[in-house]
Amino acid sequence: MRVFGSNELLKDVLERDLCIGCGACMELCPYLKSHRGKTAMLFPCTLPEGRCHAYCPKVEVNLDDLSLKFFDTSYEGTPLGSYRYVKTARAGEKVDNGDFQAGGTVSALMSFALKKGYLDAAVLTDRKGILPVPRLVTNPEDVFTCSSSKYTAAPTLLACNQAIKKGYKRTGVVGTPCQVLALAQMRSNPMKEKDFTDPVGLVVGLFCTWALDFRAFEAFISEHVDVNKITKLDIPPPPAESMEVFAGDDKIEISLDEIRQLIPETCSYCIDMTSEFSDISVGVLEGRPDINTLIIRTERGKNIVDEAQEEGYLVVGEIPEENLEHLIWAAGNKKKKALIKGKQDGLLNISEEDKRAYLRVNTKTIEKIIA
Amino acid sequence: MSYLADNNEGVQHLLLGNEAIARGALEAGVKVATGYPGTPSSEIMESLSKVAHGRNMYVEWSINEKLAMEVAAAGSFARLRSMCVMKQNGVNVGSDFLLHLALTGTREGMVIIACEDPGAHSSINEGEARMFAGMLEIPLLEPGDFQELKDMVKWAFDLSEEIRNLVMVRSVTRLSHGSGNVKFGKLPEIDTNVDAGFQCDGFILDPDKGAMISMPVNHFHGRLQEKLKKAREIFEDCLFNTYNGVEKPELLIITSSACNLYCKEAIALLGVEDRVGLLKLGTTWPLPPELIKKNLSRTDNIFIVEEVLPIMEGNIKVLAAEMAPEIGVKNFYGKNAGNLPTSGELNPDLVLDALKTILSVEYEDMPESYKKKAQAVALTGAPNRELTFCPGCPHRASFWSIHGALKLDGRKGFVCGDIGCYGLGVLPTGFSTIKALHAMGSGIGVASGFGKLRQFGMDQAVVAVCGDSTFFHAGINGLLNAVHHSSDVTFIVLDNGGTAMTGFQPHPGLTVNAMGDEVPGLDIAAICGSLGIRVEIGDPFDLKGTQETLTELIQDKKGVKVLILRKNCALSPERKNKKDYEMHIDEGICLGENCGCNRLCTRIFRCPGLVWDQERKTSRIDEAICAGCGVCVDICPAEAIKKKEAA
Repeated sequence: MRVFGSNELLKDVLERDLCIGCGACMELCPYLKSHRGKTAMLFPCTLPEGRCHAYCPKVEVNLDDLSLKFFDTSYEGTPLGSYRYVKTARAGEKVDNGDFQAGGTVSALMSFALKKGYLDAAVLTDRKGILPVPRLVTNPEDVFTCSSSKYTAAPTLLACNQAIKKGYKRTGVVGTPCQVLALAQMRSNPMKEKDFTDPVGLVVGLFCTWALDFRAFEAFISEHVDVNKITKLDIPPPPAESMEVFAGDDKIEISLDEIRQLIPETCSYCIDMTSEFSDISVGVLEGRPDINTLIIRTERGKNIVDEAQEEGYLVVGEIPEENLEHLIWAAGNKKKKALIKGKQDGLLNISEEDKRAYLRVNTKTIEKIIA
Repeated sequence: MSYLADNNEGVQHLLLGNEAIARGALEAGVKVATGYPGTPSSEIMESLSKVAHGRNMYVEWSINEKLAMEVAAAGSFARLRSMCVMKQNGVNVGSDFLLHLALTGTREGMVIIACEDPGAHSSINEGEARMFAGMLEIPLLEPGDFQELKDMVKWAFDLSEEIRNLVMVRSVTRLSHGSGNVKFGKLPEIDTNVDAGFQCDGFILDPDKGAMISMPVNHFHGRLQEKLKKAREIFEDCLFNTYNGVEKPELLIITSSACNLYCKEAIALLGVEDRVGLLKLGTTWPLPPELIKKNLSRTDNIFIVEEVLPIMEGNIKVLAAEMAPEIGVKNFYGKNAGNLPTSGELNPDLVLDALKTILSVEYEDMPESYKKKAQAVALTGAPNRELTFCPGCPHRASFWSIHGALKLDGRKGFVCGDIGCYGLGVLPTGFSTIKALHAMGSGIGVASGFGKLRQFGMDQAVVAVCGDSTFFHAGINGLLNAVHHSSDVTFIVLDNGGTAMTGFQPHPGLTVNAMGDEVPGLDIAAICGSLGIRVEIGDPFDLKGTQETLTELIQDKKGVKVLILRKNCALSPERKNKKDYEMHIDEGICLGENCGCNRLCTRIFRCPGLVWDQERKTSRIDEAICAGCGVCVDICPAEAIKKKEAA
């Protein structure tokens, strides 16, 4: 993996408008900060190599290296990435805090892992009004306060960097695919630190087709409703084609066509719908807003799901064949569109010494996906 | 009372040029002296303020130069000798009033002192107040040494009374801030029984008893030109115009002001006293034609030496052209011929080089080998030092927060600034945050304009900074404009408790005046608050709080928002040599050049109190320089900088 410094990060990511504001580069140094969804570089840093560039999921991401590291195989480009099995899930009867969106699987898993001591801290995304804010929690009950869907990009990973700085050794992280990708890079010790140990105890990845630009979304939504009164945002699973905004006693529906105008360009380069480098990935089961889709990818992911199920924190079921097929189709479609765009824009596998690629992946896989 | 008020006629003192000017005014019996601080003029008023009560004078640091001129004019109208002091661009500020005052004329003597700054040592311009003398049609005097600073200022009052109009005296940095021997003259008796009054009930055109009104303009303009003509006649025999040299020199140098000293030195160094004559003019506008004719007749080769623009050169050439049938056509050397630069300060070397070429004289100021060695050492030996805020300066902390807030806002915002120490915000010491820097009060003025360009798609955050003294000087006008027009601007008043850059002169925000009397202080926050806009007050040393407030203000797009950042200047009497904290750096924690810091404190924050130890690869506190403000504690990402309360 090629690592550069913040000057290159500025040029390759911020100035190319590729930054999604995931927070991976923040809380590492005094130079990179997030403010209301935008990443700011306060001052230039002159170091030729830095963690900011190494962790960033939008530049010099080597999918083959990461895949080898986490799944012992080069990146094959299958729609859902490497996994053991796909199930459905929802929070079990032991989880009495019922106010979550969809099936509550993520909250159930994280609170369970904290309660059992598998994790010493959890990195989640809370919100202030409609602004998503990173949150580091250690109390299992606090997980539920972060349970709502946000729909806008969040600098969640800065809380992960905070957790590491504070000395937590088994931090659980809930993140979107870009965040999980950044996390995978972080976990593969790109700076080749001596005595490195993976500080992350569990990665729960979310399904994601896009995340909105916060500032654009806030400006847009404030034309429809008093932003300060918004209590909940929801996009019911297809075939519904709208975002529901709950403000006070009102519920407003906004067509997804309008909402999609606010998707940042960088999401169209994203090849990952299901957080392929997680332990467990969770999404909403199509047609069933109260149930989650669950992808189990790793041994520890499997163990924790099994245990949570045994102890009544999670109810796991079989996924209907047509749901799985459609999930594979949707994830494959996202991957294909993104790779075609990346290739067209000349951002894949750049070989010139002085230029950085957005993504590196073996050509066989690229051909297979694009074909 | 100051030695400047000693009545010891004939005694010689080593005086700062500005003290000589003050003494000249005292010898003239000045009663009303006003000004606005500005380098290189400030010491004149400071000297007078010390003796004000003892000499029964009124001395005022006015809120700006226009006000200073107006207050001084009132003195003159009421039969009191008055004087008004400022730096070069101060004349611009008051020029609108001057345009009218020149027409109405004055009564008791009124003198304007313009201290100019060729080379812009302490200015962000190289303005020429000399032009105003021509434009306003008033006499201009330019003393050529330290004794003349005193003597000509004194004489300027007599001249003013003789022509019944104001007289401008011009000094420059090298005279105002140089020192020389000055022989004192007699001080008038302290007049405690002054009978001031403004007589204005006479015939309207009566210069002594009528109103001071410039209408009918035709009449008064004609009268103004008569006064100038009278001045020209007086100048023909003026003893401040001197000629030194042989009767018929090969080359005639015509010079004035500090260049007189440079010319004398160059002539002596070259040893060309028998070839060069030196005409030093003390009265440079209007030029006395007969005197000029007499001197131009000495030779055909004329070299005009003056600083910055060829103003005197142009005026002499006009006369020479008119006189050509009588005195013949002359060869001119000077600015237009390329012998001297038209910007920057002159010095003996520049004059000497020009003179060497004109006269084809060989001169080696130092052996070639020495010159080479000196150049080599200069290139490698001297560290490159740029201007920086002092250790403990509140402006460094303020700009840190402003820079941070603008970056977080992320709309490529910028700061408009003006004149004061905070102008250094254009440099790395202020994180290069100021991107537009102009005249006093222009920060908020220009910002007021930027903040109205939203309808044309301009979305950048607009911030203006202004010092407390500048707020009263001209900032308040820009603020009123911005508020009235609902301009989207964040206005930051950097209130450091005085007119700090020029030496802590009082301003209307303080409860003391130039003479040390108690006066009502005006509250900037209350003034801003009375405009119905959001006003916040903060401590610039509270980086977190300031940055949070600022970020919020910048993103609040509803009209003008004001943040007043209050902290006294590190050099103010209240803070100088008083450390709040003893600082030290835990070298074990300091991240140094590693990822995670990369020398933030010594590479970016760059307070002179922080130094980088090249060998140990950590930062250190330079205890001799550190002012103990403690701000750097809050910028260190590793919490390696520690503070403890100073004993």
